Amino acid sequence: MKTILIRRTLLATAALVAILPGVAQARCDKLQSVKAGEINIISGSFPALAHIAKEMESCTQGGLKVQFKITPNARIETEQAFASQGKSAFDAAVVSGGVFTNLNALGQIQPMTDLVEKYKAKYKIEENMLVRVNGQVMAIAFMQNAQNLYYRKDLFDKHGIKAPTTYPEMIAAARILKEKEPGIEFPIAQTFSKGFDSQVEFVNMFVGSGGRFFKSGSAQPDFNSDAGVKALENMRAMTQYMTPNFLASNSDDVMNQFQQGKAAMGVLWASRAARMDDPAASKIVGKMEFGAAPAMVAGGKSATHLWWDGVVMPKNIAGDRETVFQVMMESLDEETMKKGNDLANWIRSAYKPTRFGTGVTASMKAGAPTWPTEPYFSLAQGEIGKVVPEVLTGTMTPKAALDAAAVAYTKAATEKGFIK
Amino acid sequence: MKTKTFARFVAPSVLLMLALMAAPLIVTFYLSVRNCVPDMEVVKVQQSGPFGTTESVTQRVKLDNKGKPITLCRFVGLDYYRSVLGISPDAVSSVAMDVPTGDAVSSAASNRSTEFFGALRFTLLYTLVTTPFVLLIGFLVALGVNSSTQRLRGAFITASLMPFIITPVVAALSIKWLFRDNGLVPYFLSQFGISVFWMAEAWSARLLIILYGVWHSAPFAFIVLYAGLQSVPQDSLEAATIDGASRLQKLRYVTLPHLMPLIIFITLIHLMDAYRVFEPVVVLTQGAFTTSVQYLTYYTLVTETNPYKASAAAMLTTLGIFVLLIPLLLKTWKEQRRGV
Repeated sequence: MKTILIRRTLLATAALVAILPGVAQARCDKLQSVKAGEINIISGSFPALAHIAKEMESCTQGGLKVQFKITPNARIETEQAFASQGKSAFDAAVVSGGVFTNLNALGQIQPMTDLVEKYKAKYKIEENMLVRVNGQVMAIAFMQNAQNLYYRKDLFDKHGIKAPTTYPEMIAAARILKEKEPGIEFPIAQTFSKGFDSQVEFVNMFVGSGGRFFKSGSAQPDFNSDAGVKALENMRAMTQYMTPNFLASNSDDVMNQFQQGKAAMGVLWASRAARMDDPAASKIVGKMEFGAAPAMVAGGKSATHLWWDGVVMPKNIAGDRETVFQVMMESLDEETMKKGNDLANWIRSAYKPTRFGTGVTASMKAGAPTWPTEPYFSLAQGEIGKVVPEVLTGTMTPKAALDAAAVAYTKAATEKGFIK
Repeated sequence: MKTKTFARFVAPSVLLMLALMAAPLIVTFYLSVRNCVPDMEVVKVQQSGPFGTTESVTQRVKLDNKGKPITLCRFVGLDYYRSVLGISPDAVSSVAMDVPTGDAVSSAASNRSTEFFGALRFTLLYTLVTTPFVLLIGFLVALGVNSSTQRLRGAFITASLMPFIITPVVAALSIKWLFRDNGLVPYFLSQFGISVFWMAEAWSARLLIILYGVWHSAPFAFIVLYAGLQSVPQDSLEAATIDGASRLQKLRYVTLPHLMPLIIFITLIHLMDAYRVFEPVVVLTQGAFTTSVQYLTYYTLVTETNPYKASAAAMLTTLGIFVLLIPLLLKTWKEQRRGV
């Protein structure tokens, strides 16, 4: 008995040894001039990233060890590492377009133009993946995301309502469903929770109303305008048809309200769409459709923004830049994308969009702009985020709230050196 | 004891305290009175990417000869403290020439000050309300477990410690899921025709966080008091029984005085813990109606990415802990002296 057990163990070990190099060779087997050592990469947390992390960590050729840190705190950690006087704790980071803007404005990321030229063909790096600033490649984008319309096609058809293309239409549809559809007490579900969520909603509706955040060519605020008031009034009008818990409704809660069949429409991140058809969590499998985020007025642009996520390398990189670059490109190649086709809206021509990605494409076609790129924009966003809940709960008027945010922003932007 | 021997005994802990407590405090204070900003210039930028090409006028940091970003640092004194406390509207109006002045400025300033004092008010409410409940519930559970049979005791102790063992963020999430729309609690209440939206109003949002606080911290009081109950002098209890004391009298005159130092210890620890309340605020309400001082520091760091201002907020928070602990520290100090 004992002998058989030992023999089996030996056989299993031999089999493992035989397989392991094969696995390692499948990925990163043809890296050029590799410098051995540890490579540290950081990113925020969403499903596609876990997939990419797995691919990157399998690069173990030539004494390489890749550590991929996924954390909800990625933005702060990235900004601190890239700003550090010494070497950065991370050799690369996955960032959104918004974070990229800040890092680039502070001169903390390094161009990758030469590396892209050298490896473009090998890794099939496509031109529209390249984020260029004045011609230099500063980031390589691999996926896009946007908030788009989710609506219950079955209920809309039942009551003869068309999918809303504007917010007034959305509110009108909500009124009908609240009156006529039993079980739908709060037809609209949207991420109005205090902080980042309601900030983004405001930005979408403000830009959709034709607003400009800053006076042209300067960092002086210009968001305490009529467009700002309109955006806030629209948000407030929507709350009548939302759960009274809206100030705590983040993406998870909104997704849950949809999955439980308690809400019939709303604007939510495209990255949540596939979860609508997850039979383990959803009671509405196959019933949710996706469209362009509504415009603020008839004929206006879709009131949402386009986001990209991509990789950047810090100026103060600790590892060997060419090795880091190759490891990243290895794990962002077509093969990775194909394996995780449904996990994201990939920026590659070989990507086959699923029905969950239709909302992003529709929003793009309906003129959705890209997320603002001023490095002081996040300061304005933060200050506005503090007053939006005050308006939604009725403790401040929209104009007074925006004026207060403009003053607070001016102070913060002065402290940070953007306004002199 | 010789001074030299005494010094040798004390040195390791003094060194550790200097390295882990004093040094961070000093660094934080140093940061809070300074401000470093990148030297920015207005530039025209052409950016292309997945969504096309845009041209915009924006700002970029100036670079030195070696291509390194130029940073300007200066001493700002207590400016950031004033800014966090919202008591410096004049500084803003002098800079912001063409943004609204007058009413908006004072309203923004009062907004800032209410922000800090609002956070302080809720933190104090949370601290002062949870403390007695944590003690009371911890004590009752300890008494219950202590008088249960030996066989069941292990299971009871494990079950009672559960809320304390679970990671705070996970614990707060599970409470949120119990109380959000379609959660178990609203569903159960709706069976009786009661409809409460727990995160929609100030009273219920605050109540939820306080409930979380009591649920999460009571096990700590329980385990300490349970240990204390094991060492209650049996002879005093027997003497009290012979003297005809009731159960309540024995509890009041023998057990409680014996546990008093532990009760003070728990209060001290819980006051400090509660003052730093953060996870339930972030997870349960994202700060709606329930901003805490710790959350404010975090929010400053995240939205303004200004470590200098966040340091000032952190220093004020630390100062608050000292103020809160003064009565207890005085009491402990007096007892120590009496002991000497």
